[in-house]
Amino acid sequence: MRDVIVIGAGGGGPVVAKELAARGLDVLILEAGPRHADPDREWTHYENDANNPLTGFLRFGPADREAPAWYRETPQNSFIWQLSGVGGTTQHYFGNCPRAYPGVFAGYDGADRDLYDTSHPFPFAYEELVPYFEWVEATLPVQTAAMGTKEQVFFRGCEGIGLQVQTTKTTTEDSFRPQENAILQPGGFAGRVTGRDDPRLRYPSATGCTFCGYCMQGCSKPAGAPRNLAAKRSTDNSYVPMALTATSWAAGGRAAELIADAVVTRIHSEERGGETVATGVTWRDGASGETRREDARVVVLAAGCTESPRLWLNSRLPNPNDWVGRGYTDHFFDWVIGLFDDDTGSSRGAASAARADFPGRGGMENVGLPPGLQQFAAVFSDSGIRGHYSNGRGPTGPWDGAAGRMIGPELKDALMNGVDRLLNILCITDDDVEAQNRVTLSALPADEHGPVPKVSFHQRQRSARTLRNREFVARRAAETLRAAGARKVVRVDWPPLLLHVQSSMRMGLSEADSVLDAHAEARWVKRLFVADNSALANSLGGPNPTLTAQALATRTAEKIFSTYFGGDPWVGSESPVVSTDARVTEALLTRT
Amino acid sequence: MAVPSRDLGRRAFLARMGVLGAAAAVPALAAPLAAPSAAASPNLLPPLVGLLRPVLAELARDTISGLVVMVCPGPDAYSKAQGTPRPEPGALEARGADFMLDALDHFVPFPDQLATPLAAALTTAVDDIGLPPPGLLGPLYPTVWSLDRVLQELLENDETLPLSLVVALLLNVVATQVNPLALNGPFLSPFARLTLDEKCRAFELLEGPDADLVALLDSGLPEPLRSSISGLLRFLAGALLEFSAFGSYNEWGVYDGASRRLTERPVGWELSGYQPDGVVDGWDDFLGYYEGRTEVEA
Repeated sequence: MRDVIVIGAGGGGPVVAKELAARGLDVLILEAGPRHADPDREWTHYENDANNPLTGFLRFGPADREAPAWYRETPQNSFIWQLSGVGGTTQHYFGNCPRAYPGVFAGYDGADRDLYDTSHPFPFAYEELVPYFEWVEATLPVQTAAMGTKEQVFFRGCEGIGLQVQTTKTTTEDSFRPQENAILQPGGFAGRVTGRDDPRLRYPSATGCTFCGYCMQGCSKPAGAPRNLAAKRSTDNSYVPMALTATSWAAGGRAAELIADAVVTRIHSEERGGETVATGVTWRDGASGETRREDARVVVLAAGCTESPRLWLNSRLPNPNDWVGRGYTDHFFDWVIGLFDDDTGSSRGAASAARADFPGRGGMENVGLPPGLQQFAAVFSDSGIRGHYSNGRGPTGPWDGAAGRMIGPELKDALMNGVDRLLNILCITDDDVEAQNRVTLSALPADEHGPVPKVSFHQRQRSARTLRNREFVARRAAETLRAAGARKVVRVDWPPLLLHVQSSMRMGLSEADSVLDAHAEARWVKRLFVADNSALANSLGGPNPTLTAQALATRTAEKIFSTYFGGDPWVGSESPVVSTDARVTEALLTRT
Repeated sequence: MAVPSRDLGRRAFLARMGVLGAAAAVPALAAPLAAPSAAASPNLLPPLVGLLRPVLAELARDTISGLVVMVCPGPDAYSKAQGTPRPEPGALEARGADFMLDALDHFVPFPDQLATPLAAALTTAVDDIGLPPPGLLGPLYPTVWSLDRVLQELLENDETLPLSLVVALLLNVVATQVNPLALNGPFLSPFARLTLDEKCRAFELLEGPDADLVALLDSGLPEPLRSSISGLLRFLAGALLEFSAFGSYNEWGVYDGASRRLTERPVGWELSGYQPDGVVDGWDDFLGYYEGRTEVEA
């Protein structure tokens, strides 16, 4: 009998695992995908090799790259960008760690309180989550981003449209700033040398971000650095190393056990005293195909916004209000591209190190991509093909022509203008939780783990507030690019790109439209907690969700510890250990 | 002699998918098909299926070649046919067609369970759409039923029916809706014969919010497959272009997986000026901190 079994080693599960391992609990982490223990040997900097959704090393599939990727049904023009493997989707995230806006929490009474999704607030106040934000910010650590050429261009645009500069972590007004991100700031020769196999770019001559530009392909830089000193603080570089070495840096800590290539196929439960209680899991070993079962006092579900509801439904756990899988939000992204006559440095440096926020509306950030993904992004549209057909949409505004995908000579000319003479802005909408956007089980063939998820998004039926917010942000993005000096601006009008996914197992104030209570414990299954983005109550007002999910997971770890293991909370009374701590480094070197 | 109307329907359908033209281009296939009584015998179908398979593979490649040059035209014949020839390398030089064939055929781990009903829906839905029979293919009409049976055999019983073929047949059907003259011309594929503007109109039919084509294909299927197939079509309408772009501009065509190195500079890198000296461990692009701030208050 384990104390705790954590399902999923993505952005959220390892946070709970690390915190509870530090308290001395016996924690098992089960991860469906591969371990990627040696990125230098397993990874390259090539975008197809890394990011191909069917065959890339950062795909969503089993450890054996020769085996097919896992198929998920998407009955619309859309794309689910989920990753398996230790680190989950944080393996390719950009490390951006803005806090949720205060306006999305219960009890907010600011002048702008009616601008948010007031039907689906977090079931507690912003002030309650602040200490957990601070704890995670110190642990990762989160720092103010260094500036490269593309940040300079973005800032020029923001200044040009008259935005204020934000100099605090909490966002209260329309403003821009360097990202607060989970990327170690450059030290030594990092960011000051261009090269390959240059000893100056090896650790410890270089520390932190070397500006290599490959955030999407997983971070293993600087070359030669211990895993917990890799620049980008994806959980495979931060929380997982800490969980595995808890004995070394936490008094009374106990190292968590991690099993990769292990797909949990069922959460077990039983009736106890009139309640349904989680008791353990069954998982399938990917290499042998054998199934194993293990019991635990507490089960933490952290498989992601698509897989967590799937596992719940496949385990036939209670779902009396039918909200398991509902309320899936995606920040209703859009994409605006500016073409410049001068260098923008788009493919260099951290993929996105600058942002602007519009509380009540959403936000936007600059993004640099390699050529294949750049063109993918330019062709991913719900507005048809620019100059040919609009697919019933094709909105016009401060961009050039109707929104839509570029194609043919226009698309090729845009890239031939130079991948480093364009700048992309990702528009991030403050979107409403909507019951119609959801995960169900597919009628297409099941895989060896059971029926697969079907992810339905009703692109054109979103709420008026969501649609209005998206248009607002897209306009600001286009104006920013113009102000920065773009001579051509194209709005693409993306369909759902499921990347900032949230809220499909949401916590909430009301039993009628939430799955989790205010402790992130399942309302109808005791001892079962959810600790990934799916637990988030709403879309946070637009900020990237990882930090908030990790702060919430830290809080959830405390709730687990105090409710079922008789311990006391620690956030606020203790000091966090940073994941780059020398004791973690030393312990990792000893393990290998 | 009067041509039976049902025969005309089948012939039009095969022509519109590009199958009739492809089959006619292969003498070895045309010969047995010219003897309908023999071909009608079930035990003779397997060898005919064997003859048809490589022809259909070529048809799929032809169609997908016409697709990928939509996003990355180059100096090739397909780009010229769509009216946008370019001197610098394009999708075909980048092996974008190979990328798409490979990607489509590995898109789902259960290809037959999607491709077969989709193909069945396709054959049912377009059977009686009124397009005039292709005049140039007149002499082949007695063989139509044999060819149709061979095709049905292939579509219904082949466990490894490639999705790329089904997608190609779909694109060709839509192509002939956009431009009936695409039934004849260079290439095996009607879709590849279209201008860029016509190809765009074909995609307009595919991805329209209330696409008639989707409704047509859907109506012939039982639930729950019906909604799944129409959903897949809506997904494909976008994905075909998105992944053609991804595959034509990334390093796939020149990547050696064994050595984990590139064998030459990728087309997309050359076009875009990406990584002029190859992959790097770092860039000299650190410009400091905005307004000199390295940290902020809570």
